[in-house]
Amino acid sequence: MKLVIERSALLKSLGHVQSVVERRTTIPILSNVRLDAANGSLSLNATDMDLEIVESTAAEVGQKGEITAPAHTLYDIVRKLPDGAQVELAFGGEGQLTLTSGRSRFQLACLPVDDFPALASGDFSHTFSLSATDLRSLIDRTRFAISTEETRYYLNGIYLHGTDSDGVDVLRTVATDGHRLARVELPLPDGAAGMPGTIVPRKAVSEVRKLIEEAEGDVMVSVSDAKIRFSIGDTVLTSKLIDGTFPDYERVIPTGNDKVMEMDCKTLSKAVDRVSAISSEKSRSIKLNMEKGLVTLSASSPENGSAVEEVEASYDAGQLEIGFNSRYLLDIMQQIEGDAARFTMADSASPTVIRDVSDGSAVYVLMPMRV
Amino acid sequence: MTVRFLPPNLVNQIAAGEVVERPASVVKELVENALDAGASHVDVTMNDGGRSRIVVADDGCGMDDRELALAVERHATSKLPDDDLTKIGFFGFRGEALPSIGAVARLTITSRTQDAPSAWYIRIEGGRREGPVPTPHPAGTRVEVRDLFYATPARLKFLKTARTELNHAVDTIERLAMANPTVAFTLMADGRTRLSLEVEDGDLFDARLARLGAIMGKDFVPNAVKVEADRGGMRLTGYAGVPTYNRGNALAQHMFVNGRPVRDRLLQGVVRRAYQDFLASNRYPYLALFLDVLPREVDVNVHPAKAEVRFRDAGQVRGLIIGALKHALAEAGHQASTTASDAALGAMTPGTLPPRPSQSLFDVARAGQAPLQETGLAEDQTTYDDAPTAVVFDPKTDNGADGDYPLGVARAQVHETYIVAQTEDGLVIVDQHAAHERLVYERMKAMLADTGVARQLLLLPEVVDLDEAAAQCLAARADELAELGLVLEAFGDGAVMIREVPALLGDTDVQGLVKDLADELADFGEALTLQDKMADVCGTMACHGSIRAGRRLGGPEMNALLREMEHTPHAGQCNHGRPTYVTLKLTDIEKLFGRR
Repeated sequence: MKLVIERSALLKSLGHVQSVVERRTTIPILSNVRLDAANGSLSLNATDMDLEIVESTAAEVGQKGEITAPAHTLYDIVRKLPDGAQVELAFGGEGQLTLTSGRSRFQLACLPVDDFPALASGDFSHTFSLSATDLRSLIDRTRFAISTEETRYYLNGIYLHGTDSDGVDVLRTVATDGHRLARVELPLPDGAAGMPGTIVPRKAVSEVRKLIEEAEGDVMVSVSDAKIRFSIGDTVLTSKLIDGTFPDYERVIPTGNDKVMEMDCKTLSKAVDRVSAISSEKSRSIKLNMEKGLVTLSASSPENGSAVEEVEASYDAGQLEIGFNSRYLLDIMQQIEGDAARFTMADSASPTVIRDVSDGSAVYVLMPMRV
Repeated sequence: MTVRFLPPNLVNQIAAGEVVERPASVVKELVENALDAGASHVDVTMNDGGRSRIVVADDGCGMDDRELALAVERHATSKLPDDDLTKIGFFGFRGEALPSIGAVARLTITSRTQDAPSAWYIRIEGGRREGPVPTPHPAGTRVEVRDLFYATPARLKFLKTARTELNHAVDTIERLAMANPTVAFTLMADGRTRLSLEVEDGDLFDARLARLGAIMGKDFVPNAVKVEADRGGMRLTGYAGVPTYNRGNALAQHMFVNGRPVRDRLLQGVVRRAYQDFLASNRYPYLALFLDVLPREVDVNVHPAKAEVRFRDAGQVRGLIIGALKHALAEAGHQASTTASDAALGAMTPGTLPPRPSQSLFDVARAGQAPLQETGLAEDQTTYDDAPTAVVFDPKTDNGADGDYPLGVARAQVHETYIVAQTEDGLVIVDQHAAHERLVYERMKAMLADTGVARQLLLLPEVVDLDEAAAQCLAARADELAELGLVLEAFGDGAVMIREVPALLGDTDVQGLVKDLADELADFGEALTLQDKMADVCGTMACHGSIRAGRRLGGPEMNALLREMEHTPHAGQCNHGRPTYVTLKLTDIEKLFGRR
């Protein structure tokens, strides 16, 4: 194998693939990236056995071939090379990859390609295309609620599925950690009808999110019972799905909440942030007392004292006091892009539903705290 | 095959199977009889681990010939005067011990009442009785058991080595001796004195403490705090070791109910609960607790050997013990283990100067004549500076150093980790991080107790599958758990549904937590995990929120820390039972230098 590639192109591709590679692993080859040179392009491939990324980029291939080399080391080297440098990669079959750029020369220990695990590709039953912006919005507004508690593995991801919402076919993402829940939907893209419900693991979600940060245009999504694949430009990310049953989330989203409160989202956010500064406990609880036209936020701590802030709001129902974890409340407020948030509540011990007044596509459910 | 009554001898052998398990149980029955007879000296002799011979001699009230003949019959006893099983005022009452022993061994009893002209002697061998015949003997009773289990070879085979059996007997006598400090005990084993406990004088507490010290080791005495509590007709007394004086197993935890040593799981649970904040879960305190309850409140007729008892109101007993222990420990909050300072003293070695590079005699001679050189001093100074430094400050400028403070006035900080303070009669060395961590932790706990545990309601209630008994057990304690922040309800027969969790724990493994709790409730009757977990969170937060080792402290800061430690309960140890400070008495320091 012998090829020459522009430093920035190599860096970009390596940057994408190396973040899939785990820092510490018990199987040495999993620390490596697979390099495949053929027909004027270099393909880079990395995996952690659950998640696989393949990216190809243009290169001047002198002699085709393939090899695996330590991903993080390679990335580190390329990152430190001067801008605009040409990088030559050569592997002659003697166990070391030679990287030459300008007057720098590196010999990297390699492992044979045959040992590199391939995520069995299998067939995908449904394929549809989605704009990068839409996918961003599906992910961003739900991922904050993903559970990190490993024992409830079926909550360690985003539930992506097609369903029917008031007679309209939609593509939905849902995430919950048992304390709060986020649900976002978009009109169902062509080809997604009848797709199986998939729980996309947290790591895959964050890798996809990184890839679509810069991407414009469409993302092809392919799903099967066990896998999901995102094709973004020259990059293909394939992940195993979480093998579990996502809870019946519809049941916990209340429909009969009758106390409605609307208020400016930014104002509330800032007020919550300020008031919660006083609560020293880890849960950072905060109380919202709602009266006609006015919400009073309060927090107290025997150590620090207490805080009260009044915020104007449109509220007509009877007086209600409800406690929340302020961090959870702030998380949700951050997702709301419009000016106003609408809270619908029943009482201080039932789930509160929060929506963006100007955008009905997202629903957030927050369970109160007893303080 | 027809149904018939078994011959009396066989009946006694069967009863012996329950009562006489091993030599130690014979010792227990006989010593209890001696104590019931009001003895002030009990002498036990054992040969070959009790297999060939056990003798228990006392100076109690004794028996006359008529009583002696009856004593070896089944269900004959002097200890149930009112024929009322709800009023048991003696160790025994079943009237089974002597005939049972007589059925499996060669038993001889010699006894004389105080005013009788002569003693009487009776002998039982394999269930057959000989006597009583008159014989000379001082007032009191002497029971001799030879060839234990000769009549039941199967049981004989299950005996352990002589040493093991002897140890069991020692354990038995020690436990009885703890409860009876005014009685002298001796144990001779194969001609050697194994145990010799004098009569202890003074009031009950002093006598007990002295006796406990004689048995549990003399370190127990300075490290024990008095426990005393009354509630609803129950009285708890005894001594509990300070948390910093601990050990790796629960063998030094003794409980006595109405003077009767019992091994009860209840005790293990409550002790762990009471010491929860001060000891790591694999360390156990030393303690001996004496619970006096009205005889009708406790059922001792549960177990033939009476090792277990049942309380009418176990919850109240638990509450009493936990409350009393916590109270006692709070009072002792400042008593760090004396063994800690002893260990510190033991580790000190007389100072030796580092060896100097060898010098020729000439150099030495010249140096001796030379005037003291400034440069030499300066060199010394630099090496001194390279060493880890002590920051010394003048206390007089900081506050009135004469105040009467138990932890004294800070004099210096050494290695940026330890505060050295001078007290009236010695010095105190404080681990600044451990001490401050404990203070922050105590503050957080007080806050938690003040405001109650904030609970996060669950959007998706968790159903935890358990076995039926465990689920019921949890559901029965739901109120108590709710106070700790865990709200659950029974969900069908073998499951509970968790509705609210302590907000402190965040996104936590509810299933694992609830299963651990169920196990603990079954084992100890206490829900420890939940508090442990919260204490862990508090502990971590306390650790991050406290000053670390390596932080340089000024004089006022050090003194403020000392003053706060004096005012904070339980400041004497960290959460794992290690001391936060040690005290060195001036007398100890003087000893180090050979001045005493």
